[in-house]
Amino acid sequence: MAQQFVQQQHQSEEPQSQAQSKTQKNDSSQLQEDALDAVLDDISSTLETDAETYVSSFVQKGGE
Amino acid sequence: MPQLRDSSNQGPGNTTLRSPEYDSFHRIFGIETEYGVSVTGASKPCDPGQVAMMMFAPILSRSRSTNTYLENGSRLYLDVGSHPEYATAEARDPSTALAQDLAGEKIMRRLAIGAQERLRKTHGEHATIHLFKDNVDSAGHAFGCHENYLVRRYVSLPIIKSQLLPFLVTRQLFTGAGRVTENGFEITQRAAFLDEGVSSSTTRFRPMVNTRDEPHADPDEFRRLHVIIGDSNRSQWATKMKLATTHLVLCVIEDAAKRGIASGFEYCALSADPSVSNKAMSADLSCGKPVMQVEDIDALRTMQEKLGLMSSPSGLENHSETVTALEIQYLYWTIVSRFVDSHHDQIEQSLPDTDHADILREWKAALDALASKDFSSLSNRVDWAAKYQLLAKMKERNPELSPTQARQIDMNYHDVVNGSIYQSLVGHGLIETLVSDDAIEHALGNPPEDTRAALRGGFVHQALKAGAKFTCDWTHLKTSSPIRHEVELIDPFSCVPDSEYRRLVEDM
Repeated sequence: MAQQFVQQQHQSEEPQSQAQSKTQKNDSSQLQEDALDAVLDDISSTLETDAETYVSSFVQKGGE
Repeated sequence: MPQLRDSSNQGPGNTTLRSPEYDSFHRIFGIETEYGVSVTGASKPCDPGQVAMMMFAPILSRSRSTNTYLENGSRLYLDVGSHPEYATAEARDPSTALAQDLAGEKIMRRLAIGAQERLRKTHGEHATIHLFKDNVDSAGHAFGCHENYLVRRYVSLPIIKSQLLPFLVTRQLFTGAGRVTENGFEITQRAAFLDEGVSSSTTRFRPMVNTRDEPHADPDEFRRLHVIIGDSNRSQWATKMKLATTHLVLCVIEDAAKRGIASGFEYCALSADPSVSNKAMSADLSCGKPVMQVEDIDALRTMQEKLGLMSSPSGLENHSETVTALEIQYLYWTIVSRFVDSHHDQIEQSLPDTDHADILREWKAALDALASKDFSSLSNRVDWAAKYQLLAKMKERNPELSPTQARQIDMNYHDVVNGSIYQSLVGHGLIETLVSDDAIEHALGNPPEDTRAALRGGFVHQALKAGAKFTCDWTHLKTSSPIRHEVELIDPFSCVPDSEYRRLVEDM
C-alpha cells in the first residue's frame, strides 16, 4: 500500500510539472504565432504583386 | 592559378620542415557564394547578364576586370552564367568566415542597389533588381555555395568518401535551406542537382565533394577539401554550424588517418550511389524515414550498440540496408563528442573564437528537436524550418495559396536586395542573428587578422591608395607599375610580413 501511495504521489507530481512546462510552451508558441502573423502582415503587399512574373523572371544559366 | 596537383593518396608526409600548424587541428575555412540575378518591373527587356555587368561596372572601372580581390582579402568576381560570386578570405574560425560571408552579402547588396539606380534611368522607375542567395533558378539551373577546408594531406579521397560524405549528406537536416519544388517542399536546395559522391566534375555532373586539389598551401602538407553539397544559408547560425561541425568531424578523421586507426565513421559509409540517399533525405519532411542506404548495415548496428545508440526499428524489421539520417548524425555526434573530451586542449586551440562545447551542445539540441519532430523550435535558426513554418502559416491564412506564390515566398526569403521576408523574420525576433551590423561593416573593410588574408588585404589597400597597377590570386601578389614585383605567400596560416612583402608594399 505504502508503495502504491508513493507511486501515486510521484504520478501526481509528473502531470503538474508537465502541465507547467506546457503552459510555458503555450505562452512562447503564442508569441511565435503573433510574431508570424505580424510577418505575414508585413509581406502581404509583396504577395499582391504578380507572382508568376516574379518567379518566371529568374532564369539564368547554371554556374559552379 | 597555382599548379594543379594530382590527388594522390599519400601517408603522413616525409617533409622535414613542416609548418607549425601541420601537427595540430588548426584549419583554414572559406566560403564561396554564387548569387542569382533577376529583374522585374523593367519597361523594356533586360537580361541577367546585363544586370550583372551593371553591378560590376564600378569593379571594372577600378580593376579593369570583373575578377578582383578586395581590401578585406576576399575575391569578388563574375562567374560562369553571369553569377556574381564572393569568396571569403582565409579564416581560422567559423565565426570569422561567417562575418566575411555576410560582408560579401553586403557588398553584393550595395553593388545591386547602385546598378538598380542606373537601371531605372533607362528601364523605368519600377525596374527592380533581385539578387538571390539561393541555389536554383526557376528553370532548374543550379549554382553553388562551396565550402573549403584545409585538410592534412594524409586524409585520402577514399577516406573522404566513406567517412565524411555520410556526414555531409545528413547534416543538411539542420543546414538545409529548403526549397519549394514542383513536387512540394524539400529540405535542401540542391539534392536534385547532385549526381555523384566524390569526383572532379563541376558543371556537367555535380559531385558532393569536388576533388579539385588547389590547396593554396604547401601541397606536401595539405589538400583542399572542396565541399559542393552545401546550400546557401540566410541563417547565420546555419552557416556557422555547418563549418564548425564539419571541422570537428574532420579533426576525428585526421587523427584516425594519421595514426592509421579506425575513426568509427567508416560504419556509416554510403552504398554505391549516395545521390539516391541524398535525394530521399531531402524529400523526407518527417526527418525520420530510413532513407540512407549504407554499405554494411550489420557493422553499423554493431557500432551503434557499442556506443549505446538507439537504432531505428523500421530498418531492423525490414532487414533492409537503410537507416535514418538522424541515426547517422547521432553516431557522428557521439564519436565527435568523445573525441573532443579526450582532445580538449587541442580542439580548443583549433577554434580561436568559437567554443567547441557550444557547438556540440547546439548540434545535439538540433538533433533532439528533429528526433522529437519539434520543427517549429528550429525555425529560429534552421532555414528550411523557418520557411516551412512560414509557408504553413501562409496556407492557413490563404488556403488558395498557389504553388507559384509559395515559390515566390521561397525566393523572396533569399533576395538580399529587395526581399522582405528574411528581414521581417529577423525584425520580429523569429530568426536569430549572431553577427552585429558593426561587425559586418568591419569585416567588409578589414581582412581576418590571423591569416595570409591580412597580408593580401594590406597589399590591396596600399595598392589602391598608391594608385599602383596590381593583380593577385590566393597565393601571389603582383605589381606591374610603378615597378614590377611579385611575392608568393604559400602559408595560409601566416600573417607575418617577411622582408620581400615589406619591400613590395614600400615600393608602390
